[in-house]
Amino acid sequence: MAENKPIVIVGGGISGLTAAVEAAEAGCDVVIIEKSPYLGGRVAQLNKYFWKLCPPTCGLEMQFKRIKNSTNIKFYTLAEVTDIKGQEGNFDITVKVNPRYINDKCVSCDACAQACPAYRKNEFNFGMDETKAAYLPFNQAFPALYVIDKNACHPDCDECKRACKYDAVELDMKPEIINIKAGAVIMAMGWNPYDANKMDNLGFGKIKNAITNMMMERLSAPNGPTGGKIIRPSDDKEVKSIAFVQCAGSRDENHLSFCSYVCCLASIKQAMYVREQYPDSKAEIFYIDLRTPGLYEHRFLTKAQSDPNIAFTKGKVAGICEDPESGDVILEVEDIFKGTKVKTRFDMVVLATGMEPATKNDRSVKDVAYTPDGFVDTSAKKGIYAIGTLRNPVDVIRSTQEATGAVIKGIQSLRRQ
Amino acid sequence: MEQVIRPDLSFVNDVIASGGESLKKCYQCATCTVVCNVTPDSNPFPRKEMIWAQWGLRDKFIGNPDVWLCHQCNDCTAYCPRGAKPGEVIGAIRKQSIMQYSQPCFMARLVNDKKFMPLIFLLPAVLFAVVLTAIGKFTIPQGEIVFLKFVPVLLIQALFVPALGFGSLIGILGVRKYWKDMSNTRLSEKQAGGCLSCSTENIMNSVIATVQEVLAHQKFKKCDVAKDRFSAHFFVFYSFIALGIATAIGALYIDILDMPSPFKLGYGTPVKLFGTIGAIGLLIGVLLMISNRFKNAQKVGIGSYFDWLLITVIGVVMASGILSWVTRLANIPMLAYPIYFVHLISVFSLFVYLPYSKLSHIFYRVAAIVYAKYTGRDKTN
Repeated sequence: MAENKPIVIVGGGISGLTAAVEAAEAGCDVVIIEKSPYLGGRVAQLNKYFWKLCPPTCGLEMQFKRIKNSTNIKFYTLAEVTDIKGQEGNFDITVKVNPRYINDKCVSCDACAQACPAYRKNEFNFGMDETKAAYLPFNQAFPALYVIDKNACHPDCDECKRACKYDAVELDMKPEIINIKAGAVIMAMGWNPYDANKMDNLGFGKIKNAITNMMMERLSAPNGPTGGKIIRPSDDKEVKSIAFVQCAGSRDENHLSFCSYVCCLASIKQAMYVREQYPDSKAEIFYIDLRTPGLYEHRFLTKAQSDPNIAFTKGKVAGICEDPESGDVILEVEDIFKGTKVKTRFDMVVLATGMEPATKNDRSVKDVAYTPDGFVDTSAKKGIYAIGTLRNPVDVIRSTQEATGAVIKGIQSLRRQ
Repeated sequence: MEQVIRPDLSFVNDVIASGGESLKKCYQCATCTVVCNVTPDSNPFPRKEMIWAQWGLRDKFIGNPDVWLCHQCNDCTAYCPRGAKPGEVIGAIRKQSIMQYSQPCFMARLVNDKKFMPLIFLLPAVLFAVVLTAIGKFTIPQGEIVFLKFVPVLLIQALFVPALGFGSLIGILGVRKYWKDMSNTRLSEKQAGGCLSCSTENIMNSVIATVQEVLAHQKFKKCDVAKDRFSAHFFVFYSFIALGIATAIGALYIDILDMPSPFKLGYGTPVKLFGTIGAIGLLIGVLLMISNRFKNAQKVGIGSYFDWLLITVIGVVMASGILSWVTRLANIPMLAYPIYFVHLISVFSLFVYLPYSKLSHIFYRVAAIVYAKYTGRDKTN
């Protein structure tokens, strides 16, 4: 009977977590396979949600609590699916669990990190700061276990092991291969920010004060690299004038051909971060079309438009350069309504890059059709369901709605057999 | 203010049919105007041209220098997020502009409509064959190859001087009308109070500046993506000048001064040198143009009939010129005379079709640049 088999959920972001708790609360067994050392995915990196401007960690905490309280949910972090065989009701899934080098005895006391002599780029903050090679991914990480980045370790160093009072450090941990029999699979691998380096005319990577929208989330988050202070990377100057470049690589056949849906709302939200932090600041949003569908979304736009210090200019920024002396950024754009090509100076610029589905490059789930952009085709194999940003670019609300819907399909898959 | 838009659908279709098939893909993001290095900052192109053409606003292009200020670098096309190819669309609009200003219009249609292509070469061929037959020369002459035995100097004068004269006259008349339209547009803009380029520079200074700019190929140097357009145009441009000089001196010696041909004096003489350098330069230039077209084909497209017709005519002029020279030296009369015949036809076509083909940019682009300088539109560059 397939009913006794679990639903395997690939990806522990907001979509996967929602699907997991909904399925578990309906009585199913669930296994979450998460690639990174923590659950929560992209949402964990956000400072605030649009349009309510509330902290996403709040919703995540609720999901974590539901997971902790459930006896039906099992999860693996640092784990990746290497093979899926079989069909609906009878999948045979191979998972590789990479070593964390820290076991469950860890109490997050930070002694290992304090003892650790090596540093690594903090990818949680998009490389804007560093952590020790022994680190906690972020302060509210779940599971609350440290991780050791072996690639960053000094050779033959065991300072962390010696510092740990709880015998939690296992430097000789090996990757494990496990097999899971599953009745249904839900793909929820989420998305990656489109690589801004690919737009050669926007200067990302060369211009210090040009950052992406996801970096902006970290820069304004209280648990981010600056403690929530919005200061620019080159000289820590307070950002009093900020520009947002919409469709940076989106709706563009040379990059992402589709609209990522969230970027307009995200930029409006981020303009509000700056306006709130520095009352004398100015923000300007450069757009092709403002896309904020929905009643509350539209109200959110109207709210921003009523702020005289948030300007909206129609015209895509197609050139950015840096004033080497001041570190200011100079944007080149045609103000379409005025019909003039202008160069405007700002303290910092945010490139509103879009969402690339994780399945653009990660094809670990085979037997499933993919669109040219890397989304999972709706006619996915029976028993395998894709949700969230794997289907199309969506926000958190729609991700969770889709997740809940997919659980019903998963349960049907279990019952059918 | 209420403004009634009257779309001219035939204009839209004409642009689409002449190489602007991507026109409707444009969604007005203005990436093109920003990456364009040759546009002025006020009322920049090519974004506005894209929406004018989409909406069929033919009138907007009358008396507007901008489509000719574009040098088709295709930086816009390379960065266009939609594959709308503004560079190619503006090229198609230029063709419409030529068809409007170069009279009579049936000639413009003959040259620019693909279905008349066989006629383009057939008509001059028939003309030459008839004339040569009439004077009883339409045979391959015996003895040492001397092209003048085949076609007498007088006949060349009688056919080519009027051909060039006709081509130039039509071009000049077209420019006159274009200039008038541009002035009228400016006048009505002034009256409406929305004059965009109201200053007037000295016209002579504008002409001199334009000549300097053209000689130095300054605009082409601003192209980013298609840097090779500079060298391709440079070679073709200066080769034609070299060939023109050689021909003019030849004509001066033979026709006017009644002296022996300066080309016979050997390869060391300046006249022969000009001719030889011109021929080799033209070969390089044409090959570069063709290779550029293919190199950029993936993003820009292979080009329209309008583009290829000119490349073909110049290519045939160049190839037949060089081959008739080579076959003459190799002493193969059975090849040399027919190839020379092709050479004459192609040069004749170049002259007669001058104001209707893409080559008419000699008139219209130069006029537009002078006008832009004259009215201060070109200041920012």
